[in-house]
Amino acid sequence: MSDAPPIQKIAVIGAGVMGAGIAAHVANAGIPVVLLDIVPGGAAKAVERMVRADPAPFMHRSFARRVVTGDLGTDLELVADCDWIIEAIVETPDAKRALYEQLQAVRKPGSILSSNTSTIPLAALTDGAPWTADFLITHFFNPPRYMRLLELVTGPATRPEVAAAVTQVADHALGKTVIPCKDRPGFIANRIGGQWIQSAINNAVDLGLTIEEADAVMGRPLGIPKTGVFGLLDLVGIDLMPHIAASMKASLPADDAYVAAMRDHPLIARLIGEGRTGRKGGKGGFYTRRKDEDGASEKYAIDLALGIDRPTERAVLESLEAGKRDIAALVEHPDRGGRYARAVLIDTLGYAASLVPEVADGIAAVDAAMRLGYNWRWGPFELIDRLGPTRFAAMLREAGRPVPELLDRVAEGRFYREVDGVAEVMQLDGTHAPLVRPEGVLLLSDIKRLAPPMAKSAGASLWDIGDGVACLEFHTKMNAIDPDVLGMVGKAIAMGKKGAFRALVIHNEAENFSVGANLGLALFAANIAAWGEIESLIEQGQKAFAALRAAPFPVVGAPAGMALGGGCEVLLHCDAIEAHAETYIGLVEVGVGVIPGWGGCAAMLRRWAEAKGVPRGPMPPVAKAFEMISTAQVVKSAHEARDWMLLRPTDGITMNRDRLLAAAKARALAMVEGYAPAEPKPLRLPGPSGRAALMMAVDGAVALGRATPHDVTVCAHLATTLTGGPRADITEDVTDDQVRKLEREAFMALLRTDPTLARVEHMLDTGRALRN
Amino acid sequence: MTDIVIAAYRRSPFHLAGKGALTKLRPDEMAAQVIRALVADTGIDPGTIEDLILGCAFPEGEQGLNVARLVGFIAGLPQGVAGVTVNRFCGSSMQSIHQAAGAIRMGAGEAFLCAGVESMSRVPMGGYNVLPHPGLAADYPAAYMGMGETAENVAHRHQIPRVQQEAFAVESQRRAAEAQAHGRLEAEIVPVTVGKESVSADGCLRPDTSAEGLAGLKPAFRTDGTVTAGTASPLTDGAAAVLVCTDEFARKNGLTPLARIKSIAVAGCAPEVMGMGPVGASRKAMERAGITVRDLDVVELNEAFASQAIACMRELGLDPATVNIDGGAIALGHPLGATGARITGKAAALLQRERGRYALATQCIGGGQGIATVLEAVA
Repeated sequence: MSDAPPIQKIAVIGAGVMGAGIAAHVANAGIPVVLLDIVPGGAAKAVERMVRADPAPFMHRSFARRVVTGDLGTDLELVADCDWIIEAIVETPDAKRALYEQLQAVRKPGSILSSNTSTIPLAALTDGAPWTADFLITHFFNPPRYMRLLELVTGPATRPEVAAAVTQVADHALGKTVIPCKDRPGFIANRIGGQWIQSAINNAVDLGLTIEEADAVMGRPLGIPKTGVFGLLDLVGIDLMPHIAASMKASLPADDAYVAAMRDHPLIARLIGEGRTGRKGGKGGFYTRRKDEDGASEKYAIDLALGIDRPTERAVLESLEAGKRDIAALVEHPDRGGRYARAVLIDTLGYAASLVPEVADGIAAVDAAMRLGYNWRWGPFELIDRLGPTRFAAMLREAGRPVPELLDRVAEGRFYREVDGVAEVMQLDGTHAPLVRPEGVLLLSDIKRLAPPMAKSAGASLWDIGDGVACLEFHTKMNAIDPDVLGMVGKAIAMGKKGAFRALVIHNEAENFSVGANLGLALFAANIAAWGEIESLIEQGQKAFAALRAAPFPVVGAPAGMALGGGCEVLLHCDAIEAHAETYIGLVEVGVGVIPGWGGCAAMLRRWAEAKGVPRGPMPPVAKAFEMISTAQVVKSAHEARDWMLLRPTDGITMNRDRLLAAAKARALAMVEGYAPAEPKPLRLPGPSGRAALMMAVDGAVALGRATPHDVTVCAHLATTLTGGPRADITEDVTDDQVRKLEREAFMALLRTDPTLARVEHMLDTGRALRN
Repeated sequence: MTDIVIAAYRRSPFHLAGKGALTKLRPDEMAAQVIRALVADTGIDPGTIEDLILGCAFPEGEQGLNVARLVGFIAGLPQGVAGVTVNRFCGSSMQSIHQAAGAIRMGAGEAFLCAGVESMSRVPMGGYNVLPHPGLAADYPAAYMGMGETAENVAHRHQIPRVQQEAFAVESQRRAAEAQAHGRLEAEIVPVTVGKESVSADGCLRPDTSAEGLAGLKPAFRTDGTVTAGTASPLTDGAAAVLVCTDEFARKNGLTPLARIKSIAVAGCAPEVMGMGPVGASRKAMERAGITVRDLDVVELNEAFASQAIACMRELGLDPATVNIDGGAIALGHPLGATGARITGKAAALLQRERGRYALATQCIGGGQGIATVLEAVA
């Protein structure tokens, strides 16, 4: 923790895409925010637009109320009590400086002023001006809610407390990874990313690749998002490129490799001229969608050489197959895919290696910036390590390129290595030193290097994360839950009962906490009519999860990313949840024609029955659970999860994913003293009367075309389960076990229907729900 | 025989449920504010009131228990004034008036506060615990049929095309907007206080409604349906009250009656076309009053849906010029329990304003019923 005075109120000036998005994200963090724009009413309009936007800048619709909007011309005094003022206006130094002059008159002494500029050097914005000591550059990435990188540039005269205070609030409240950068054009990510885009376009043209091939090679094999390069340009806007290129050209020396590679592509100029700037304009870009004669939508790709659109063709290259093994096999492959990968990596990784220490003090910062700012799986130095630094140096030499000093220095070694369980990174002098984590950050990946697991199976492991707390990690494909994982849940509980730990956290660092039960397994079992096995798997899951709730130690779920179906049900059986803000939870079973079978129905009834502020009587909990489960609702943030009682008011939300495990551990430890599992009170359920009411709602959905015939069948089973079955009566208690039995019966009955099996198959084949 | 009159009529502004200005106002408090204002304006001694008869379609939650009694306390009525809550769904507060008229005729009181309230923001339609009889739901689903579906049935059976429903809705909006713009709604509205704010104008109206705009809406209840959000009354928060008393009571309190209650009626009909309820009830009421449709100068026919309003007008042979002169529920809103008091009070006020002789107030009721009141001008 720093001693900097806390930032309690923030102003953002400029309600363009970036400014408005930053303001929304400040609101997401629960910090009051003022948003001003030069266009009268512009800020209010931007907030209105963001409430409807998808992906949503706000984590909850209601957070829009935290943004106070105003006009720059008349409402400047609104910034008077703000601790941090973020400028995100037009990218011209004169306009920015004129604004800062205006702000001098109203901002409070010692308040922090920062620019979100992506191109203008800090020196050009300060230059001895009276705000110099309070000034820094805070460069957010688009969209500000979702991109975790914040590049931070301070000047020689910036007060140290300024950077400390901004870092503190950006890290903890906004959930960003703050990367200090040097005051160089494009900082880290856009300098390297811009050069990469340039190289990827040039080489695709020169080597005669289709855009599908280029994107396929640039994407998955290199750990880059599957949009590759042309898809990425369509996403961010093709017209952005010339702007960035012009600004880089103006501020970098002519012999800079990025500048030297700049080339005017007539095709790109033509697309921009035609308003085909990508997805935002509706006219498409490199890729377009067109309706054929039957009205079906078909995807087209532009031919780089001929400039005409033609239906997309899947990239088929041997090098892509080779790339599935490793990157070295990809770049060594002689086909055009391999040559392409090789040429782009030579350009980009060579360029990146030449930029340290010009743009950053260390290589870890460069890698982090590319991972978090461009969503690369590996940063440039990590990619070089994967290729082998000596191989890469040889590639450079073969291509007649200079070999950057850092590559000489790493020589036969690696930029990253592990010594006695500690991750180390190479320093500029060639020595290695431990990777430094910000204070309070606890990463499972670091813990895993230090000691063997307490227990391990194919699908899950149990780790000692210190202070008597264990962490149960899933590690199956997409963290799907299978009998092996369930077995490990049981084993963990048994070990906890014997005193192996005091509290349990369920957490992993994969992209998604868990996508649910292993459907492939269920389909296979159904196809061979192994009904008994399936039912016992359902029962195993129910028992394992029920045992989590009944365990004599506290259990805290710590999800990030998707927690669907069975992945959601695990969480519903934890004593508490500490969720990353970007957690997407839902019971999505009806999408595959079944209902939650691992206690999810019982757990949702209980949550609503125990919720405060819910009307009394047997129906409200049932209606709430039915509404959510029957529509396969998936919440789009942890804050939205509260609306559906997937998170209870007492559960926590952590903004910074790197701080999630530490927060969950602290929550678990706080529950240890005097812990006793909650005694579940019996439920009162309405039985057939309630079922009749729910089915009326289903009839309404059918009339509106919102429910398919099989939806009605699935909903009928769900309604029977949630209302306690045909014999339930509002005068009698129903136990969780009774509801779980109904769940099981409904699940098995549905799995025996053809439409359900068709849904499961379709989901496995396409990843989408079949609407039959 | 003693004449039974409507001596005063007031209502709250009506606002859209869930997003309007009354969303945060408890229904009991809302009703109490209207009743307090009505009593104050008439200057009557509240101790002379026999009973507060309060209609509510979903009397639970904040409008539950015996909400009439509680409203009496909140409104500061003397303890001696009794209170009863009445439920005939949408016909609830017209039923309040009917009960008062019956009691007066029995010699069981001289003056009654007849009111209605519904917060559709705070108590959902159907209530919190819908628990239908499973056997009835299976054997006779029409008993529980959703209102939108009944409106579709009426449109289908009576062949009311979508474009006609939309023309009706546009006219309702136009009339309401004009009435509002000319201040013709002000006299009946009691400004209500929500927190620190005073709300004095209706909030449901959409004066910019056009046929083209309505044509673009999706069907609200069936994919192949004709009824949209634009041709249905919106979910609404509101309260309304009238003073029902003997002509003698009115005059000795210095009140000029708005109208005399000439006759009343209720009638059942097929639940799947509940919107046709006004036909049977109105015919009965007019027969009891000894009049025909041609005698009507003012009609308040609740617009639950454009389809049923049009079908009822056609069946009864009503002159559109006399129906809902200041707009109807499609524009003004339909807080279920409050609508009966509003349209009966409004019919009485319009009879006076338009200098007519006879007025009819009638509405359809979920489950398949109609209710009707014939009013006569006071000479």
